[in-house]
Amino acid sequence: MNRWLDRWLTLMLLALLGWAGWSCLHWLWRGADWTVVVTNLPLYAVGSYPEAERWRPLLCIVAVVVLIVITLLGTRHGEWRRSLPLLWSAMAPLGIWLLAGGLGLSPVGTQSWGGFSLTLLLTAGSGLLALPLGIVLALGRRSDLPVLRGGSTAYIELMRAIPLIAVLFFGQLLIPLFLPPGVEINRVLRAVVAFALFAAAYIAEDVRGGLQAIPPTQREAAAVLGLSPRQSLQLVVLPQALRVALPSLTNQAVGLLQNTSLMAILGLVELLGISRSLLANPAFIGRYLEVYIWLAAVYWLACTAMALLARHLEIQLDPVRSAR
Amino acid sequence: MPQIFRRGRFWIQLGVVVALMAFGGLLINNITVNLIRTGLGLDFGWLWRPAGFALAETALPYAPTDSYAWALVIGWMNSLKVILVGLLLATMLGVAAGAARSSRNRLLRSLSGGYVALIRQVPLLLQLLFWYFVAFLGLPDTPVGGLIHFSNQGIRLLGLNLSVEFCSVLTGLVVFTGASIAEIVRGGINAVSLGQWEAFRSLGLLEGVGLRRIVLPQALPAILPALTSQFLNLAKNSTLAIAVGYADLYAVSDTTITQTGRAIEGFLLLLLSFLLLNLLISGGMALMNGAVLGRLQRSR
Repeated sequence: MNRWLDRWLTLMLLALLGWAGWSCLHWLWRGADWTVVVTNLPLYAVGSYPEAERWRPLLCIVAVVVLIVITLLGTRHGEWRRSLPLLWSAMAPLGIWLLAGGLGLSPVGTQSWGGFSLTLLLTAGSGLLALPLGIVLALGRRSDLPVLRGGSTAYIELMRAIPLIAVLFFGQLLIPLFLPPGVEINRVLRAVVAFALFAAAYIAEDVRGGLQAIPPTQREAAAVLGLSPRQSLQLVVLPQALRVALPSLTNQAVGLLQNTSLMAILGLVELLGISRSLLANPAFIGRYLEVYIWLAAVYWLACTAMALLARHLEIQLDPVRSAR
Repeated sequence: MPQIFRRGRFWIQLGVVVALMAFGGLLINNITVNLIRTGLGLDFGWLWRPAGFALAETALPYAPTDSYAWALVIGWMNSLKVILVGLLLATMLGVAAGAARSSRNRLLRSLSGGYVALIRQVPLLLQLLFWYFVAFLGLPDTPVGGLIHFSNQGIRLLGLNLSVEFCSVLTGLVVFTGASIAEIVRGGINAVSLGQWEAFRSLGLLEGVGLRRIVLPQALPAILPALTSQFLNLAKNSTLAIAVGYADLYAVSDTTITQTGRAIEGFLLLLLSFLLLNLLISGGMALMNGAVLGRLQRSR
């Protein structure tokens, strides 16, 4: 009886898969028209960046891809291995310099940033801002000073209660209100700040989880060795806590990358925003499916690459392995 | 408790308070200057003025001549509708997909794995747009046996009219959250020792019965807390409905703010609404958690 059920289930699933596969093939063969993707590849990559300067965002993307490949496939050479963290941390400032210009490159305003390079920049920029803020908030929530603990807890809980789109929308709307008159920061920077403020609350909870996993004996051992409280935090507790929190931090990073798509609602032309404006173009009317499949593939690849990188980092940081 | 800051803790706290107060004072000063400059004060009187915009989907009678406050209530109802139905369906999908991961049928197992791997790496907003523009607006006009009627105007289910916007938001949320719940359920099931499976199999119980009666109840304590945060995520993500034009709480707030220019008041109302919603969901889940743990204890 059980076996019959199993066979019947397999047959049903096979029929379903066959039908889905056949309609996909049929659509690919007959209906799909990929001109909307193929002719606009530069737009997807760099947005409406000035034509003569397009090599800059492209170089940025290529550099990130090359760095990912080097990190993942990695040479066994110690020299290369050691310089990787340096290369990665140089990436964000380098990317901003390449996009914004200045220091020998002609300046390009943020209104012409767009496409995948903007998506990458939003992710990297807000992630880099959010991580230290999140760590501070987590330490604050674990502190035994009532003011610090209360303040951090209130911030984390409030931020986690409201939806991201509201934070982003009000970031665009309210950040100018909180600034002295005459001081203006542009839309991309406002987006990065709002993103970072939001993500910090979630990162704080992940880091707190990591901190809780470190047994008090670690701190006691550090104290016995004569380390000051600050040294014990910096050298003993925090590195271990961050390693424990790494898998959930990865999830946050992947979420951050996915959530940059929300900026399309607010009018930034990152990957999804560019697609929305392309789909409004009469030449590509009704080509939703092609564009969405293409976007899904790009996001899927980017997120998977990120998850792989984090997995790689986890293995690298594994104390058992590095002790060998 | 951490020993950091032990020395001079009073001074540190004082310093933090002073710094926070200075920062807060600076922000408040700036905002008052800006509000005076733009001629906006903090005032909720606009709530009772006629809203003047139409809403496509209303659970209670609503006309553009009604007040902003009533429009916001209608938005609330729409949000609640999609969230409650979404919670129910996402849980069902998630449990089914999570349980399928430990099925003996290899095809079912890999299908469920593929679903999770695909859905979790693609942004929800993109999925919502797909469901709206491709799936539901592209539905051919097909009556199915008089009970269900699909069309690109919406779905008619036994006299119940579901709009295209509602259907796409609901489907998007259910499919996306279902994938996360599936991972949680899988984790919970894996936490139940293998001996339990062997035990019910050796008793001759069917796979499905054993899963439902033996394994899942024991997995529940591990599943429920993580489920709560997924439910909260679903509620928060429902605000993306604005992208497909479903008149939920956030969309109505957005229109209200654009029309009245009352960003701060609107934000405060939205914040309050979401705090309330979060309290409702986590309170409900806490009750359920207590009930489940109590029942488990009694059955032991």
